[in-house]
Amino acid sequence: MIAALMVLLPLAVALALPWAKRPEVHRPLAVVGVAATLVLGVLATGDAGSLEVSWVPALGTWFAVDATGAGGVLARIAAAVMLPTVLWAGARVDDRPQLFLAWLLATLAGLTGIFLARDLVLFYVFWELTLLPALAMLAGWGLTHRRAATVKYLLYAVAGSFAMFLSVLAIRPLSGAEGYRFDQLLAAAPLLDPLTQAWIFAGFAFAFAIKLPIFPLHAWLIDVHEQNHPSGAADVAGTLYKVGGFGLFAWAMPLLPEGADALAPLGLALGAFTAVYAAMIATRHAHLKRALAYASLSHMGIVAVGLFSLHLAGQSGSMALLAAQMVTTGGMFLVSGMLHDRRGSFELDAFGGLARGAPALAAVTLVVLFASVGVPGLANFPGEFLSLLGAFQSAPAAAVVAVLASIALGAFAVGLYQRVFQGEARERATEIKPLEVAVFAPIVALTLWLGVAPAANLAAFEREAGAAEVAAAPLVPPADAEASGGAR
Amino acid sequence: MSLPPTMGDLTVLLPVVTLVVFASLTLLFGVFTRERAALAGLALTGVIAALAFTVFLWLDARAAGAPVVALGGAFRGDALAFAFSFIILVGAGLALVLADGHRVRLHLDQPEFHPLLLLAAAGGLVLVSAGDLVTALLGLEIMSLAVYVLAAWRERSRVSEEAGMKYFLLGAFASAVLVYGIALTFGATGHFDFAGIAVAAAAPDFAARGLLLLGALLLLVGLAFKVAFAPFHQWLPDVYTGAPTPVTAFMSVVVKTAAFGALLRTTGSLVEPLGVGAIGEVLPAVLAVLVGLTMVVGNFGALLQSGVKRMLAYSAVAHAGYVGLAVLVGGAAGIQAASYYLLTYTFTSVAAFAVLLSLMDDDDRGDRLERLAGLGRRRPWLAAALAVVMLSLAGFPPFAGFVGKAVVFQAAIAAGHASLAVLGIATAVVAVVFYARVVMTMYLREPDAHTPATRPVRRRTAVVMALGVAATLVLGVFPGLWLDWIARAPWWSAGF
Repeated sequence: MIAALMVLLPLAVALALPWAKRPEVHRPLAVVGVAATLVLGVLATGDAGSLEVSWVPALGTWFAVDATGAGGVLARIAAAVMLPTVLWAGARVDDRPQLFLAWLLATLAGLTGIFLARDLVLFYVFWELTLLPALAMLAGWGLTHRRAATVKYLLYAVAGSFAMFLSVLAIRPLSGAEGYRFDQLLAAAPLLDPLTQAWIFAGFAFAFAIKLPIFPLHAWLIDVHEQNHPSGAADVAGTLYKVGGFGLFAWAMPLLPEGADALAPLGLALGAFTAVYAAMIATRHAHLKRALAYASLSHMGIVAVGLFSLHLAGQSGSMALLAAQMVTTGGMFLVSGMLHDRRGSFELDAFGGLARGAPALAAVTLVVLFASVGVPGLANFPGEFLSLLGAFQSAPAAAVVAVLASIALGAFAVGLYQRVFQGEARERATEIKPLEVAVFAPIVALTLWLGVAPAANLAAFEREAGAAEVAAAPLVPPADAEASGGAR
Repeated sequence: MSLPPTMGDLTVLLPVVTLVVFASLTLLFGVFTRERAALAGLALTGVIAALAFTVFLWLDARAAGAPVVALGGAFRGDALAFAFSFIILVGAGLALVLADGHRVRLHLDQPEFHPLLLLAAAGGLVLVSAGDLVTALLGLEIMSLAVYVLAAWRERSRVSEEAGMKYFLLGAFASAVLVYGIALTFGATGHFDFAGIAVAAAAPDFAARGLLLLGALLLLVGLAFKVAFAPFHQWLPDVYTGAPTPVTAFMSVVVKTAAFGALLRTTGSLVEPLGVGAIGEVLPAVLAVLVGLTMVVGNFGALLQSGVKRMLAYSAVAHAGYVGLAVLVGGAAGIQAASYYLLTYTFTSVAAFAVLLSLMDDDDRGDRLERLAGLGRRRPWLAAALAVVMLSLAGFPPFAGFVGKAVVFQAAIAAGHASLAVLGIATAVVAVVFYARVVMTMYLREPDAHTPATRPVRRRTAVVMALGVAATLVLGVFPGLWLDWIARAPWWSAGF
């Protein structure tokens, strides 16, 4: 029940926000909404953490949510990152702030739904729903060229999600599963013949590759980040919305193991290439947000490599990396908003020497930035390490290439820090403000927590990755597979 | 079959009789009174009464667990008939209210308007309830004759006259094809009624399978005109654009639903008698080609339009393709999918035309996309309503259009039409472009000096909009309201 509330509460707040007349209640309302979602997430354990209600019997779909597994971990971290984001956006967005906050809350509701859904149709519904806020924030609050960026984003996203739609619709009738609930599908879908699996998997993989994103389906990402509102809040929402890896991990790979097997070489190659290619571009880029977007793209390449290694360590590591980059990349986009406040530009040439006026800001940025490129002891390291470790076990070539990316990312981080904070200051920068401290506090805390104590989260990811592997093993067919597989 | 009707027959016919009686009443009062608002109220009462009778008969038949028949089987009250009658009456009611809100401005207040609308709906009811081909033809003609006149309603409008004329000529041609198909079917089997055709074709010495196929194909073509399958859709964009907008709304829901009901019944009852083997595969194959072509032509056609009304016309063709996919599936699953799709399309389509009516000029012209510029800020409610409608038509959750596509495509994949489902999804991506264009114009483009002011929304129009949007949302989140209701009927597949 609590799991369902985790979705419904932010949605309710999102719907209520536009009606709140008094401007001074907007930000508190949004912050309380996100905080309450986070508290619910912490409380959602055991029986209260999952819910199953029949939704449309005629379609075989359920309103099934579960916050006790890997998705629950990601949902909690997403809510934790959304907290400073809402705080920041409420102060920095001047034009119709209550609507912007409402869209952020809607994003959180959709994301929570994506992570918690244990029914494939429900997952798809949330997947699509979350697109609307992303588009609305870009179209409504973006910069001059937002129109083109919106159209590009829309076309990419819709092409992907409609391909997935087809796979969603095909997987049940073709496999003869009783319904769309994960366990029902798991009993039937892995027994499909390899060719059918490959086709259905391809539909999923196309959508997830666009949302990951990986080369060559990443073009929308860079423009979206460049054109988003300069506060960076919409970019954080966009970063949390990079759920393609989760989709592969939680749905496509366990349900269609032979399809995953068939497409793994392609996934590995594209993932490794993306990681290196994007990291190289990131080191060269002169636009702060575009550079961050490319760096985040590079992480996604590593996530893809970890996932397509089809190895226990690689898969759980890639989820850990996904969770960590929500915090660190998200945090960096918030930093970009703070920097924009100080210089009114995202061009790196406009910066330099900020550390002199704002040493504290420089220090926290350093923590988040270095965490994001995988410095040990900080958030991204465990995930990145395990992703690559897994890849070395099953696909050494891809792993070797991907390792190059993490080296390039290190160079990127050092270069970025130098260009922004060191060197000659043209004008004195303002030091970190109380609001910014409040925004940073949860980000830095999460960064340290994920880096120092990753074990609990990793265990959750591993349990799910392991369960999928057991289910996929042909020697142990699920008990009721024979009964329901008759229609194939 | 030529027995005099009994009281039991009259009960089954009650919805149709109600509509005809109220049509006569409205006509009669129209001669004596100048109180036009009262006429609209009278007509609406008729539709609501017919709707109540339909629901009552439906519940009764469900309780009994068997279809009811009247006039010796010529008129049937089975699940297909009830479901489609329900949708037709809902659509007719919404269109009536919509027309009433713009009655004076669009010169829809001559006394003949409402009777014709009611008669068209009555024809639609007969068409979807017909147990034999002659009754079906009768229903089709009652409906079509009324709509020919309605399409040409706009005074001193060449476009409207052209629309009526075009619709009439092509409609008459389609009817002729249909009659020919009926004749051949009768020649092959000696029967007009669907049950009799099936029995005759099942006989071991049935030799006229080729003739029956030819008849079935002609029937298909005749009905394809009415549902606007490509390449028989040519009339539709001009007629939809030329007709007064409330009439366009009426056509896009009532006429389409009725024609699809007839198509489902006809193909559903002819596929099996045609048997297995080469001859049996022709009809589904031809239908599949038409459906595929319709999805492509409709969506790409809509992509090229600069007028919103004309875009909606092509989009109506595209949606006919998706419903056609359900017809191809046939059986209980096909009826379930098609009826859900048409019900939700009824609400969204009428709501779309309702918004459009509030934006167009006094003379019902001017539907260019640019007029919507800045609507998001100028008229937030109107823009939100249109945005919901467009998102639903494009197939975004949580709106009904999403579930509609889901049930249709899932049924198609389950029935082995995966390639058509792929084509359907591919064309649906194209569709997102032109639906999103409307939304983006409203929210992203700034109005300029040429952007005309919008009129205040009439209360009746607002009611139609609110009902349409609410139903789009409710049926999208709780599709079980209709799907499970339909699926629970045990006598769905009891044959026709």
